[in-house]
Amino acid sequence: MSQAPDPAHRLLLLGLRQSLTVDEGQWDRILRLARRTGLHARVAANHLDGNVRLTDPVRRHLLSAVRVAAYRAQMVRAELFRLATHCKGDFPVVVLKGGAYILENRALAVGRFVSDVDILVPKTALRTMEERLRGAGWAPAPLNPYDERYYRDWSHETPPLRFPGRSLEVDLHHAITPVTGRLAFDPETLFETIRPIPGTPFHVLAPEDQALHACLHCFQDGDLELRVREIVDIDGLLRALASAPGFWDRLLLRAAQLGLERPLWYGLRYARAWLDSPIPDEVFQALPAPNAVARRLMDTLLPLAMLPSDPDFPEPIQVRLARSALLARYHFLRMPLRLLLPHLARKALLRGKARFSQSPTGDGNHGV
Amino acid sequence: MAAFHRQLDLVYPHQLDGCRDIPFADIRVSLTPGTRLRLWRRQICLWSESQTPFEPYPLNSALPLFEWGTNWIIAQRLNAYLLLHAGVVARGEQALILPAQPGSGKSTLTCALHLAGWRFLSDEFGVIDMERGLVLPMLKPAALKNASIQVIGARPNAVLGPTFPGTRKGDVAHFVPDRASFEARRTGAQPRLVVFPHFVAGASLRCVAIPPAEAVMRIGVNSFNYQTLGPLGFEAAVRIARSAQAFDLTYGSLDEAMNCIDSLFNQAA
Repeated sequence: MSQAPDPAHRLLLLGLRQSLTVDEGQWDRILRLARRTGLHARVAANHLDGNVRLTDPVRRHLLSAVRVAAYRAQMVRAELFRLATHCKGDFPVVVLKGGAYILENRALAVGRFVSDVDILVPKTALRTMEERLRGAGWAPAPLNPYDERYYRDWSHETPPLRFPGRSLEVDLHHAITPVTGRLAFDPETLFETIRPIPGTPFHVLAPEDQALHACLHCFQDGDLELRVREIVDIDGLLRALASAPGFWDRLLLRAAQLGLERPLWYGLRYARAWLDSPIPDEVFQALPAPNAVARRLMDTLLPLAMLPSDPDFPEPIQVRLARSALLARYHFLRMPLRLLLPHLARKALLRGKARFSQSPTGDGNHGV
Repeated sequence: MAAFHRQLDLVYPHQLDGCRDIPFADIRVSLTPGTRLRLWRRQICLWSESQTPFEPYPLNSALPLFEWGTNWIIAQRLNAYLLLHAGVVARGEQALILPAQPGSGKSTLTCALHLAGWRFLSDEFGVIDMERGLVLPMLKPAALKNASIQVIGARPNAVLGPTFPGTRKGDVAHFVPDRASFEARRTGAQPRLVVFPHFVAGASLRCVAIPPAEAVMRIGVNSFNYQTLGPLGFEAAVRIARSAQAFDLTYGSLDEAMNCIDSLFNQAA
């Protein structure tokens, strides 16, 4: 069963696409579930066009959400504006995800919270770009040598850079998959089809690569906890892109080329199940499906992990188990066991040490 | 927990009836015990929607944690309005806004003015409705700190909750606004006078008019979300500075400050 099980979840997912006519009690619940998953401004954007009757308390919460989201989007534009002066045309600079949706004025960017700016450069230009930004004042948070090496050797991005006094982090990528992951592919192929954003020195990925990146990010590059918004991104992209002639064919071809058919299959499955994305049946038939056991497992675990549980209570045990299982899956996909086990052991040790020494937060800062 | 419930009833006496079974709540919080591994000096956590935004407090400081914690969450969720860090009192439809940095005597002055007959709108948040140009009430107890507990507690008719000694912000006690202010909690007021108070022990009274352009900037500085609201916040601050005169008030005597405010308000109204 891939349907969202809970009626409140169904209302939340419906409220992302159309205006709801519900009473205050239902709004109370929808808003709290939406806040848990960072979707409240997205829901709000759908209900503030004056066509929906809202009570004052509901309206002020929706207004609050869209205003904060608009501010964050403005901060992203400001950061990109400052980054633009460091794009000198000697190599392409590709804006990924949230920043790209904003620069391309996509409908899915409205009410979407963006917490960092992700840019992708060719691997050969990574050092140059990093040095340029550091020279201009962007600085990484202090890292211990272990974390530094983790980023350099095993990750697909440099340690996040931040300009002192500004809240947004800039993540500089040289690939969109962890280099140690099972689905790692040569990122050079992405640069063959990038397109410029008019009026800026930036590029974006080709439409089908954007959709694949959203699927990849959701299913291979995150712990999935409360990540229903990633499915919302996939749905938003599909709705924006699917009308272009030949989009689905190009998407399938590209997925096969890059070896990303599995994350695409999952992305399409849940976008359709939860958000009724307009995906032709032929697309599903053309994609190799996971085996029945894997499907059943994901259908059981994913809703528990990705959708918010009752906001009045701590997560129930099955939710915590589902999230642990999917976190284990994420680590397993990210690096082979011979790297993963020492890495996790070291992290656990550091965490234990931090707890003993009463340091307030002992967690590593890349969430591993 | 029973002690906390008694304290809550004491500082929210008007909310005892009529606040049950409300379908929609701006915020919902739980207070939960801290780690069970501590055998003494037990702690308490504020929990809301699976988040604990604060470090735990000592078990006997549940009320200050509840007050500061809810204020913090309110500030996250109330960006439909321009939120000033200000005390607000009113006479009739006309509001006096007292924006200030912590430690400048804002709460003391707000409570003293309320005890002298002004309607209490809020102490922590000056809530500006940007669409209607009104300042809205936000009826919560005012957190009085250190010496101001004694200063306000000694005035006739002052209702204070228990004093919590040695919290992170020093000694704290909560001042309870009167019933009439509670009943008018849905009625906004027009900004008429803005006073930036500075209490300096032993200082003599000094009151300086602030030109509107400077007032806009200082309203912005004393706001929680001026930056977040961008042009909307700027326009709201300009509107306040145009409709209300602004003054800088340095004082060492509470009564002198109140007299000065009285005459400024009478001139402005």
